[in-house]
Amino acid sequence: MNSAQVPLAIGFNALIAGLILISAFAMVATRQVQGVLRFFILQSALLATSSFLIGYSRHSIHLLALGVITVAAKVIAIPWVLKRTLPGEVYERREIEQVLNIPSSLLLALLLAIAAEFIVAPIAMASSDPVVRVNLPIGLAGVLIGAYSLIARREALPQLVGILAMENGAFFAGIAIAPDLPLIAELAVAIDVILIAVVIGVLTRDIKLTIGTTEPSALTELREEPQPWR
Amino acid sequence: MALTVAVFLPLVAALLCWVKPLRNIAWGVTVVCLSISFALAVVSAHQVLVNGRSIGIPGWFEADGLGALMILLVSFVCDLAAIFAGGYMHHSERSDRLWWFYCNYNLLVFALIVVPALTDPNLVWVGVELITLFAILLVGFENTPNALEAAWKYAILTLMGAPISLLGFLMLYWAYRSAGGTGSETWQGLHAMAPLMSPNLLKLSFLLVFVGFGSKTGFVPTHTWLPDAHSQAPTPICAVLSGVKTSVPLYAVLRFLSIILASPEAKLGEWMVVLGLCSVAVAAFLLLQVRDYKRMFAYSTVEHMGIILTAAGFATQDGALGAVAQMLNHSLTKSLCFYAAGIVLLSLGTRQIRDVRGLFRVSPFAAGALLLCALAIAGAPPFPIFLSEFSILSAGLRSGHNAAVAILATLIVVAFVGIMLQVNNMIFGKSDLYSSPEAIPASCRTAVIIGAIPILLLGVFIPQPVHSLLVLAAQQLGGR
Amino acid sequence: MLRTVGYNLIQLLFVLGFAPLYAGVLSRFKENIQSKRGPSIFQPYRDLWKLFHKDEVISSETTWIFRATPYLVFVVPLFVTSLIPVLTDYPLAFAFMGDMLAGGFFLALGGFFAALAAVDTGNPYGPMGASRTRMVGFLAEPVFMIVFFTVSFVAQSTIPYIVQQKWVASSAAFFSPAHILLLIAFLMLILAEGGRIPVDNPTGHFELAMIDESKGLEYSGRGAALMKWGGQMKFLVLTCIFLNVLLAPWGLAHGQQLGHVLLAVPFILLKVFLFIIVLVMIESSLSKLRLFRISEFLGAAFIISVAAMIASIFSGPGT
Repeated sequence: MNSAQVPLAIGFNALIAGLILISAFAMVATRQVQGVLRFFILQSALLATSSFLIGYSRHSIHLLALGVITVAAKVIAIPWVLKRTLPGEVYERREIEQVLNIPSSLLLALLLAIAAEFIVAPIAMASSDPVVRVNLPIGLAGVLIGAYSLIARREALPQLVGILAMENGAFFAGIAIAPDLPLIAELAVAIDVILIAVVIGVLTRDIKLTIGTTEPSALTELREEPQPWR
Repeated sequence: MALTVAVFLPLVAALLCWVKPLRNIAWGVTVVCLSISFALAVVSAHQVLVNGRSIGIPGWFEADGLGALMILLVSFVCDLAAIFAGGYMHHSERSDRLWWFYCNYNLLVFALIVVPALTDPNLVWVGVELITLFAILLVGFENTPNALEAAWKYAILTLMGAPISLLGFLMLYWAYRSAGGTGSETWQGLHAMAPLMSPNLLKLSFLLVFVGFGSKTGFVPTHTWLPDAHSQAPTPICAVLSGVKTSVPLYAVLRFLSIILASPEAKLGEWMVVLGLCSVAVAAFLLLQVRDYKRMFAYSTVEHMGIILTAAGFATQDGALGAVAQMLNHSLTKSLCFYAAGIVLLSLGTRQIRDVRGLFRVSPFAAGALLLCALAIAGAPPFPIFLSEFSILSAGLRSGHNAAVAILATLIVVAFVGIMLQVNNMIFGKSDLYSSPEAIPASCRTAVIIGAIPILLLGVFIPQPVHSLLVLAAQQLGGR
Repeated sequence: MLRTVGYNLIQLLFVLGFAPLYAGVLSRFKENIQSKRGPSIFQPYRDLWKLFHKDEVISSETTWIFRATPYLVFVVPLFVTSLIPVLTDYPLAFAFMGDMLAGGFFLALGGFFAALAAVDTGNPYGPMGASRTRMVGFLAEPVFMIVFFTVSFVAQSTIPYIVQQKWVASSAAFFSPAHILLLIAFLMLILAEGGRIPVDNPTGHFELAMIDESKGLEYSGRGAALMKWGGQMKFLVLTCIFLNVLLAPWGLAHGQQLGHVLLAVPFILLKVFLFIIVLVMIESSLSKLRLFRISEFLGAAFIISVAAMIASIFSGPGT
């Protein structure tokens, strides 16, 4: 690989960072349950591509391996696992109502992205690595926007995808700032992610079997109510 | 050696429970393995007292004072809970799936034990996440809508913290590397490099880890899953959850805090005091109007986690000593509380406080246990929690946090009043129960009696090895 | 000096002449993708010729606005053409007459008068379409502004030529995350302002569902020809801004000779036709949005453009 291609790879990484941010917004704005899953797969593929690009430009086997692990775990394994544990009609759902309407949700997501930039600005500016400057804010933004989409959604599957999207964000920042993390840790994290999908899938199936719908907000029995004082 | 076997034995037990011929004796397998694990944990703690560290696999599994203390606690509480579960789970509605319950339980214990023994912080993250995952499945075991709701809330709130804390750990790794750290990252190495690491980065990564793991520990405002999960789960699971499962992420947070305190520029102690007091305040006031006695004990857990955080925030050795003593005492006492609650639930079949009256006449054993536990957890002398809370308050005064100590003392009194009022209503008075209560299984009684021994003992006399272990553990937490 | 004025004229003729071809190729490709044969690509020329030779019928209830609007709508895109890089990448004679904000205002001026004229006739469908057009327009304005602000901030100038040299030609800015975000936001804007799917159906004849088409509803003869042509030119102008200023700087004439400038024409046409392919694919795979979902669409464009601005502010001066 010649030295002219290395900045190109880093440049493409910035492009991918922009696309990851867009996919995070798209996950907030989509109504269809299956659409959320598809955007997640897109985001994971983008993350793997970024990992390949950075690994290529830094000659790091770690990151190339991480890219392969990401593809295997998030692009292939998790959708397969979810298809197996959740009944098919979950995928045909559309969420007409969210907690906030979509333009307001998008605005909030934007504010979160801005907040993420602010929070990491002193740290990112102190670093001289261009990859860190791009990945760290967008990674943190992905985490925060994923957390928001987790809160704003009512259906079970988008909530799960919200958690996984947060992991994508954390990883995206991680491949820039901790590229030589021991491979054991990365493998363990990948397995952990798959396990999360399994557990939530099983829970969702149980909820659906018990109360007939996959909206967990329909369960509202447990709360404190003021009782007459004796 | 002892450490490695102690850590991996629950994993072996899980595999054994899964194997078809052994499914019927899953309970026996569990209890035997966990008891051996506890014995080995004692051996390992002894090694720590003698050598300063107990080495399992060098570089992967090592235990210092704090780690050995946690392993000891985990193995004891889980062992006792397994004994308790023997009698309790027969009454559950899903007693045909008990082998799966024990298999899951062993996996949970494995995850709990492995975390204090790990030296690499990133693997600690993986371990804490595994704890959460296995616990989720166990919380929803009863498969009723309430149990599933509790499991779902628990899942979402705690898993939401997972990527946040992952990012925090990755940033910590980055700080370590940019400060020039070589080799693999261990807690010890981080301690040594702490003064060289960028304070902004350290603070940001600690904040992320605090938010992420704090949701698992039950700090306000992410504590809302705790009362639900700890009341809907099967009682032995509640004991494990409240007793050790909230302490282990707290252990990780405190380790991280000690790294922060080792860096002279990042000052976070005061914030920890404030946040800890918030937790205690919210829990204390919620205790006054709780309807369900298992939820009452759950709120008490939130309160004690807040107290431990406040103590660690004092950033002195005395405060740290108080914090680890509180952790020890809380784990032992809280698990006993849940055993008592479980017995009451078995006898009377209701979770509501207002339905329980005159317990003393109905079942003296249950009433006695409940009264003992309530006094112990509320912090009355001569029980150990009184001692550790007192030492925390005096440590606070000595380090100059007078306002915090005053607030803390007031809140402890409020919580005391709350718990004792509810329990008083339950135990004394006229019983209006028309049918005779269920008999209490023998294994439950055994568990309660064994569990009461340390409570009664530690309140009046702390054996020398235990004290030395506590002091060693406090040294790990740093501070002046 | 005279040479650059000449080049400016060539630019105007380019836009004037090729706008109907643009529309023709677009509609033909769209039909082709649907496995139909489609009209000839020169059909819009024939339509314009036919309309110019017809009589005009104007309602006696209308005011001067109705009569003046077709001329305004025709002339406005030509003004904007002289401000943006169409064939050359160095500023021409009138380039400093106004910057990008001026270009935006001019286009808005045309739209404003078109909406007024639609109300002027008293036909019920006119105001309905005009109000919808204004809704789309007012939601799209912030996106315009923010996109312009962002590129100006990075390029330290608001003249499109200079922006093009600094923004597109420099690889640091080309590969920033802000760039792709801006591209997507501006693409959504083009779809909205040009009245394409998913915002509006350009081939629909159902007046109750018209948004952009309704501005030409009441005109006949010469007025209709001018409105049509003006609309086609506006779309070509927006496309040129998108392609030449934001996306792909290649193909523009660098040298000062006439030959270079004329050589740039087929390159620009090639770029435009490639863009047509992208546009046709977008149009054929989406369906028209319900009216109140348009605000979500444009809200998303706004969010993306603000995110681009934030990304460029935080990483711009440093990289």
